[in-house]
Amino acid sequence: MSRLALVLLMMASPATWAQEKLAVGIITSLSGPMAAPGKFQMNGFRLAEEEINSGGGFTVGGRKYAIELKVYDTRANPAEGASAMQRLATVDRVPVVLGELHSGVAAAAAPVAQDYSIPLMLTIPTGPSLTEQGNRFLFRVNANNDQLTQALAEFIARQGWAPLSFIAWNNDAGRGGVNGMKKLLGEAKIGYVGYFNVGEVDFSSHVTNIRSQNARAVMLLMDEEPGSLAIKQIRDAGLKTQLVGTLAMGSDRFLKRLDAQRLDGMVQYNAFPPNANLPHIRAFSERYSKKYGEEAHGFAAQSYDGLKIAVAALQKAGKVDGAALRDALAAIEYDGVIGKVKFDAKGQAHPPVYVTQWCADGKRRILHPENLKADCGAG
Amino acid sequence: MLSAILEQTINGLMAGSVYVLVALGMVLIYGVMHVLNFAHGVLLMVGAYVCHFFFTRVTGSYVLSIALAIIVLCLLGIALERAVFRPLQGNLRNQVIASLGLILAIEHLVIAVWGPNALQMKVPATSALVAVGELRFPVQHLLVIGVTLVVVAILFVFLKTSKFGTAIRATSQDRQAAMVVGIPVERIDWITFGLGTALAALGGALIGPLFLVFPQMGDAPMVKGLAGILLGGMGSVPGAVIGGFIIGVAESLSTLFMPTDYRDSVAFAIMVLILLVWPRGLFGVRVRGED
Amino acid sequence: MASRIALVVVLLLLFAVPALAQQQPYLLHVLILCCLYAIPAVGLNLMLGYTGLVSLGHMAFAGIGAYTFAVLMVDAKMPFWLALVLGVLAAGAGGAAIGAVCLRFRTHFFMIVTLAFGLMLFSVMNNWDDVTRGAAGFPGIPRPAPLGGFSFGPLQNFYYLALGAALVAFAVQWRVARSGFGRVLMALRQDERLARAKGVNAMLYKTAVFALGSAIAGLGGVLHVSFLRVAAPATFSLAESINAVLIVIVGGAGSLAGPALGALVFVGLPEYLRVASEWRLVVFGVLLVLIMLFAPQGLSGLIESAWRRVRR
Repeated sequence: MSRLALVLLMMASPATWAQEKLAVGIITSLSGPMAAPGKFQMNGFRLAEEEINSGGGFTVGGRKYAIELKVYDTRANPAEGASAMQRLATVDRVPVVLGELHSGVAAAAAPVAQDYSIPLMLTIPTGPSLTEQGNRFLFRVNANNDQLTQALAEFIARQGWAPLSFIAWNNDAGRGGVNGMKKLLGEAKIGYVGYFNVGEVDFSSHVTNIRSQNARAVMLLMDEEPGSLAIKQIRDAGLKTQLVGTLAMGSDRFLKRLDAQRLDGMVQYNAFPPNANLPHIRAFSERYSKKYGEEAHGFAAQSYDGLKIAVAALQKAGKVDGAALRDALAAIEYDGVIGKVKFDAKGQAHPPVYVTQWCADGKRRILHPENLKADCGAG
Repeated sequence: MLSAILEQTINGLMAGSVYVLVALGMVLIYGVMHVLNFAHGVLLMVGAYVCHFFFTRVTGSYVLSIALAIIVLCLLGIALERAVFRPLQGNLRNQVIASLGLILAIEHLVIAVWGPNALQMKVPATSALVAVGELRFPVQHLLVIGVTLVVVAILFVFLKTSKFGTAIRATSQDRQAAMVVGIPVERIDWITFGLGTALAALGGALIGPLFLVFPQMGDAPMVKGLAGILLGGMGSVPGAVIGGFIIGVAESLSTLFMPTDYRDSVAFAIMVLILLVWPRGLFGVRVRGED
Repeated sequence: MASRIALVVVLLLLFAVPALAQQQPYLLHVLILCCLYAIPAVGLNLMLGYTGLVSLGHMAFAGIGAYTFAVLMVDAKMPFWLALVLGVLAAGAGGAAIGAVCLRFRTHFFMIVTLAFGLMLFSVMNNWDDVTRGAAGFPGIPRPAPLGGFSFGPLQNFYYLALGAALVAFAVQWRVARSGFGRVLMALRQDERLARAKGVNAMLYKTAVFALGSAIAGLGGVLHVSFLRVAAPATFSLAESINAVLIVIVGGAGSLAGPALGALVFVGLPEYLRVASEWRLVVFGVLLVLIMLFAPQGLSGLIESAWRRVRR
């Protein structure tokens, strides 16, 4: 009797079936200067992995697979990016690689992907030149710097916020943002530009210059850690200028670092608004906060979508093969957490860029795009 | 424009205070042991982490946490002196390379244990703002400058009048002669190292609440403090103080006139230029044995 | 005699690797990287190991070579091999000019001034968007142009190129070590005052080796960016310069094989022992301290003393 029960039990839970594993490659920063944002990227991938596997896996060409992530740490070093890609292609033999944070590293990994006919799906790097190299195997899920600044520049121009000053990271993300804004708004509307190195925390000299030049708005191109300090220092100095931030400054996690008073009125672009009243966004946000105990970060949302798109494309392709997957990705249309994802001829997707704003009560409202506008609490 | 210059000067003095605290520790150690301890920056960082640990886990008292951090770091410094720098006495190159190894090991140990994310140290007592005319500064900022100046004053008095202080000065000037006179130079070595490390720990504990506590926090102050020491003169304590402040103010003022992405280069360019004209630094003392 | 045989065997093995490791392109990739890191290390070894100049900005000169090459190839559309030569020369010239300034200082001052110049050069690479394409990197750098019918696109052909370049660098190092020039350098390392007293123009020799070391670094830099097909400032940062010092010291400063051993340990091992990255660096840091304390001649010295003990 007990033996029968045991067999029945084994048949009942899908987890005990030895499921065939399909490994996909992940390159990211687990250590080094970009380790903090790297964590958000991994969170997104892991959440997607968990969801896919607990749902019984997925079927490609008639066979059922569970997804397995082969993760390599590239430490924001281009040589490590190329090595990781090489290893994934020839030792681990994965059909697709996702991730990376740093544009320079992505630029080193992309040619290797092309060498071995394996698609590389970027979920965070924003350097526009990445998708201009004619690499058919490179795809980018997230909006690039040009797209981000386009949306933001339109919004800022409509608000009439000029001159626009900057405090920016002196790396690919910060500089790219400043250059993009300069191009779109025109030099005349640009005020003071204060660059600082990753790891610097004293913005007093920048704050002074922003005050003395009477900036109408200040754009902060950095992640949440320096961002919280910059805002604190700006507000402590008595400056009431309009603040514009990156997607890192739109989460509840960021709110906890400061307080609603200091943030009130601050505007930021976002890959997705966690509290929007769209069912798949709500579902994602709830699952994320249950698993990680904090609000979802835009990077996580982009990465989550990336992995799910990869799996969907594999299913469409019908076989575990890099070249076939590449063709499937080129044609796929996917409704993700970050919006509709469809890759253009250069491999670049065009997800909507949201602009959200902090309200005095610590909630957010959506200001842009027009058709998705929402009030405090739904942002 | 004038008010901007004034404000930037004050900003520079505040930034400079941190560089000065690091520079003081390094210049003391250099004077006595003729070794440039590059690892000073990471010791500042460890001081901040230890202070944060005590403040958030053990005692809610900021002052007590600072004291405990200083004690812990002092012991760590003495241990490093005996284990690493003493055996390599006389070989400058190897000592410097060993200190590079220490930086790697300590910084990544902290990351491995505490993680790469920054920690916040909120000290309610000092987060208030002080108004000076139209400008407003956090109390913690003024505390940093104030404590630095007090420490500098105490250090001067200590070096000039106390027995240990005089022994330290003697050993810096001429190690052989000090030995002849009966000064226990080996003891002076580790005491000075401990003292220098304590200063680094104090620096870390002071700037922790001002900004954030994170693994790379000591790197920039160390390099800038170094520039300050070279500027002021390798063996000179007043030189280190003045040099540190000059670097801080120059950096801040430069943002008024130059593209800010070259702000770092300003500190170094100034340092190199001054050294070309005054190779010993502004207050450089000729130290025996070093050509 | 025994060391000569060992050398020949090692060389034969290295040339045979692509044939022996047909199915292992990853191994080739790692060995190429080892060569590309060993080349600048040879340059630094000449400066640090033989002459005692501890430069903390060495990789910035590799960067001068790499970016000069990139701009000439992609913007000025020069042929590959010409751009390579010009890149190496630019690095050497940079070394001569900047070295002349740095060398006016001694020991500690020298180290810090080289660090300062390294950081300043990095700023230029990172900030000069119009020319260097800035922080996001300079993409689109091609693999070497074919020589005769031999194309360098395929991995194993590039391996031969990298290996060849490394051998050239080591040959230069060997030649210098055995020459009068090299003997003067070593004399300067041991006791500069004495050498000067004997009439040596220290400044001239030190500047010459700084320029030579920088030129060799430039060669490494050019091949590095051609291999990766992108030139990014991150490859030439302070952290990388410190890495170069580690490679030279751990391998054995002032020894011929030092840079090769160091590159194998620092580049090769981590690729295969993929342990948690942070702990790996802690281990390297501790290793450096231990080597300074107990084995200042590095791995090369350890191997030599082990060999001597075996022969007894």
